[in-house]
Amino acid sequence: MRFPARFLAVAASIALLLPACGFLTEAAQAPSADFIVTAAPVYEPLAALRGGERFPRGAQLLLVHAGKAEPLVTGFAATADANVSFDGKTVLFAGKKEAGDTWQIWELTLADLSIRKAISTAADAERPFYLPGGRMVWAQREPWGFQLESAEDGHLPGYTFLNPTAGPGVLPLTYTQASAFPADVLADGRILFEAGFPLGSGSTPELFLVYADGSGVESYRCDHGRARWGGRQLASGDVVFTHGATLARFTSPLATETPVVAPHAEYAGAIAETASGAWLVSARAAANTHYAIKLWKQGSPALQTVLTLTGKNLVEPVLVAPRTTPKRHPSGLHDWSYANMMALDARLSREGDLKSAPASVRLEMLDAQGHVVVTGTAPIELDGSFFVKTPADKPIRFALLNAKGAVVRQERGWFWIRSGEQRICVGCHVGPERASENRVPAVLLRSTTPADLTGAKDASAAQQGKPGGN
Amino acid sequence: MSRRIQTAAGTGLAAVAVTSLAVAFILAGSAQVPQASQNTVPTPEPRTFPAPTNLNVLPKNLTGQQVHNIMEQWEASLGAQCNSCHTEDPNNIGPKGRPRLNFADDSKPMKAAARAMYSMTERINKDYLAKINSSGDPVTCGTCHRGSLNIKPFVPPSDAALPITQKLPGSREQPLPQANAGDAVDYASPLELLFSPDGLRLYVLCQQSEEVRVLNAATYAVIKNIAVGRVPRGISLSPSGDRLFVTNTWDDTLSVIDTRTLAVTATWPVGAEPSGVVEDRTGKHLFVANRISNDVAVLDAATGEEEKRLLAGRGASYLALSPDGNKLYVTHVYPNLSPHRTAPESEITVIDTARAVVLDRMPLHGVAGVFHLAFSADGRIGVVAEYHPKNLVPLAHLEHGGYFVDTLTLFGADVGKPIEVPLDELERYASRPFGVAIAPDKSRIYITCEGSEMVTVIDVPRLLHFIHARPRPASGSFAYDLAASANYVIASIPVGHDPRGMTLNRSGSKLFVANRLEDTISIIDTRSNRVAATIVLAGPKTVSAIRHGEQTFYTSRYGFQGQIGCANCHIDSTFDGITWNLEPDGFGRNIVDNKMLEGLKGTEPYKWNGGNPNIPTECGPRTEKYFWRSEQYDDLTLADLAIYIRNLPTRPNRWKMPGREMTPAQERGQALFTRDTDKFGKPISEYNRCSYCHSGPKGTNQKLFDVGTHKPNDNGTLLKSAPLTEIALTAPYLHDGSARTLEEIWTVYNPEDKHGRTNDLTKDELNDLIEYLRTR
Repeated sequence: MRFPARFLAVAASIALLLPACGFLTEAAQAPSADFIVTAAPVYEPLAALRGGERFPRGAQLLLVHAGKAEPLVTGFAATADANVSFDGKTVLFAGKKEAGDTWQIWELTLADLSIRKAISTAADAERPFYLPGGRMVWAQREPWGFQLESAEDGHLPGYTFLNPTAGPGVLPLTYTQASAFPADVLADGRILFEAGFPLGSGSTPELFLVYADGSGVESYRCDHGRARWGGRQLASGDVVFTHGATLARFTSPLATETPVVAPHAEYAGAIAETASGAWLVSARAAANTHYAIKLWKQGSPALQTVLTLTGKNLVEPVLVAPRTTPKRHPSGLHDWSYANMMALDARLSREGDLKSAPASVRLEMLDAQGHVVVTGTAPIELDGSFFVKTPADKPIRFALLNAKGAVVRQERGWFWIRSGEQRICVGCHVGPERASENRVPAVLLRSTTPADLTGAKDASAAQQGKPGGN
Repeated sequence: MSRRIQTAAGTGLAAVAVTSLAVAFILAGSAQVPQASQNTVPTPEPRTFPAPTNLNVLPKNLTGQQVHNIMEQWEASLGAQCNSCHTEDPNNIGPKGRPRLNFADDSKPMKAAARAMYSMTERINKDYLAKINSSGDPVTCGTCHRGSLNIKPFVPPSDAALPITQKLPGSREQPLPQANAGDAVDYASPLELLFSPDGLRLYVLCQQSEEVRVLNAATYAVIKNIAVGRVPRGISLSPSGDRLFVTNTWDDTLSVIDTRTLAVTATWPVGAEPSGVVEDRTGKHLFVANRISNDVAVLDAATGEEEKRLLAGRGASYLALSPDGNKLYVTHVYPNLSPHRTAPESEITVIDTARAVVLDRMPLHGVAGVFHLAFSADGRIGVVAEYHPKNLVPLAHLEHGGYFVDTLTLFGADVGKPIEVPLDELERYASRPFGVAIAPDKSRIYITCEGSEMVTVIDVPRLLHFIHARPRPASGSFAYDLAASANYVIASIPVGHDPRGMTLNRSGSKLFVANRLEDTISIIDTRSNRVAATIVLAGPKTVSAIRHGEQTFYTSRYGFQGQIGCANCHIDSTFDGITWNLEPDGFGRNIVDNKMLEGLKGTEPYKWNGGNPNIPTECGPRTEKYFWRSEQYDDLTLADLAIYIRNLPTRPNRWKMPGREMTPAQERGQALFTRDTDKFGKPISEYNRCSYCHSGPKGTNQKLFDVGTHKPNDNGTLLKSAPLTEIALTAPYLHDGSARTLEEIWTVYNPEDKHGRTNDLTKDELNDLIEYLRTR
């Protein structure tokens, strides 16, 4: 993608520097396609998970063509977080017109270089991604940190609603009292996002998934441990991310991450896969150096320098090219103000299966002030199944209780169920590799009405262990 | 598909003329409100709908409920929501804090557009379609919108640029290219393959062109095309290789081909829908699996005379001889009948070939849909391809194997007790395993996965290590572990549409895969696990609407992460013999028996509660939301899918006598079906006669009734009178599959005679009634 000459060259400030120690000193390489990177003096990739600023000293998007970098847009005090549309014609980005502005979401049309504000929000709006079906998702600053929100991207008539219960306008996708920050949109239409683990309470960066209507939130994998962030999906379907400072991947056959054997360096995640299958990565030799853009072919012992910029971190490379549109998620949420959830067998867990079924399940919710509120308990059947009606769009968690009411096992984090969502869990933290067994849950043989754990006043019957209304 | 199918399809298409897309008159819903009768009751109204106050184009005497029903149908047809046309009233806030809609308000332009469009359809139907005989379905919103407000413009492509999969929705089949003498005029639809013992010939069983194509195995040139019977399914060689046997499912015959002359030397009558066929090593017996009669016929191999039948599983279809020839293994595509709401049960029937008796029935717990079976050359590993459904769990989401796991069951000396292993991964599925082949050196197992359109390759030593190293689950199944396949699946090789049968060459260096809906054969280099070449079979080079619809039906590419396709639950475009719990009806509510697809035309509305007015609604946005749970086909593809489904022909009825003849029992049963007085001389009201609700050519008057069969976990009492098409095949019965036999419908589930007057009948009389019903 060539840009008009009116773009000022910034070649004077850009150099294809000799790599620092640990990097090969070979001639710069360039992928065949143009790409965009974010250049920032200081880059704190995980600051957003604390509600902080990733680019505390500003940032600027650069378009790199044939090894030369130029500002992607002019007239902005700061720009970052480029995402190229599926047809390769437009670019969403976060920008500040003036230094004192909040980050807002803008869209650049590459053909005529026109820029429009994609959405106006009261607080920072960052890291936008196009979604299929004419929508977009971004991170919106909220009192509890960043949350994922979604809206139409302005390219479709206003009658196509993602969520029939939400209608047009902004649709919140995450409902935690901690930060959630988008990382990628997967081919199957789900949104990959970063948040602390345990979700809603922890501080270890982890990768999670959510459908484009906010339903189905879950960890990508359950082998939790060291920090995982900066995930991007490859054409193969694998997700590559930064694990600590090295690269690792999730792959469909495996329930746990596998290391990516790449040259020794610190990687900033958010790689870009080129048409040839090579990766554009943001890497640095050590913490006291800056990230540069490197090209790496899997199996190669060395990184090839593509672009460095003195005093700047170059991060989040994005190819300027058409790409396969992910699948649109057809929201099946019902027009309810609550949600239903059924566990098939609460005894099952990666932490060790319980030998007998707990007696009951207790639901806790975080209220708007962050206080834990017990909304009720419901019995668990001998086969470990339970079926409950829950508050929707609120942080909730379950605790399994024995007959004496003591906690046998408790969720460490918080999750949510969307309004109108009906969700099934195979067990309690069993991992995505665990498929359900084919049997009628005993709770459904007792009643098809979920026990009401919404905490509503008329749910007192449910709190005594009787089915509530649906 | 046979030539006759093609003809029938063409006729069907012609009949639908202008509106050849499968749609139903939207207002038919209101017209089909059950008539007041002794045994019909009004729909319970959990909600009340106020009387409409501002009807302009709809009849002004409609009730609030009727208008609501119409609006729901419009929503489905247009993919719209209430607030697409109706404004919010900021002064009227609902309990959820949202403004209620002001239905009387006319300020939204979309509402005026909707009125205008509705009036237009009324005019088209009244002024034009009504004047055309046999014009088919009326025009509705869905005729054009197909579940979406945003209709993509149709630009007719030039002939030269016509993509093979694009056709005008609803267009009739384009005339196929004129064939030269000897050319095939149908799609070939290769289903099964095998090599001659000397490896010089490749026999290709072509289902739709109804022939065996004999190819030179070196050049792949056609040596001869041998016409066989209707809709052939099974093929095998005699041990000597002198004779080739082909089963013909639609005329219940077996073609015997002399492989020296490549001529059919005999056509023997066999059982109902013969499928797999195998001759024993001694040349004494031929074994034929009969899908409809659920048995294996034992024939004299010299004369074709049937000596006896051996009961096999339901839908007996595929046969495999053990390498020593002593045992014959039989699989079946529909699960055996099991108690209501319990896991499906299937079996491998093991037959002693020398004595022609059943030796064993190896249970396949939780499996519904069992296909090819193969043995390693040393006979120490047996492998069968199968589906493991999750029909008892509410279908809330597809991820984590929510609807199906695709599995193999392994058995034999190397394996020990039979064990089930999954082929799927966490985010990628090996949808609908069908064919199995094992490398001569036992190093690899190959499985065709129909829905995923690929061949899965398993490393046998790694597989055996996995099953022996892991603690064996008490259930005998690893199907719950989607990470298991990483231990033994080493490749997934994309091939063509609907890969089915396959065969290895003698050295095992090449694997030949029949791509049924592509008329090609993929040749896989087994060393590199890549398609090295593709044989394109002679036949039409354009893809008709029906063919495209069939490809759409059989692929799993639209299901979330490729887990399922239509054919998962409609095996070979029929049914699956099990019941399901669909999420939108509520967890544990509205358990529904899966229905046969053949002969659907003229039986609208669909679903047991009549909730879907036409096939595009059935297969359109609702399917996308609640089955695929992922973006599905475009409108053109939906139209082709609807055409395919709507024109599925009904297979020959084996209980029907030639012409209008009936057996005495059938005649007695017909009299009971149509009687107007019971055995005590008491009149039976018109509405309580079998022949009232089950009237018409398909055995349904297409209306809803309360026949007392609803269960406490059903959301309503009204059920559509079910078509009687092929009812003999489609157990279990009733909307929720609670009746395992036709007899149970009346002896267990009709205590108050609400489902017709039957409690005065004796068992013999019920048997007569059944005999008659089987002819429908």
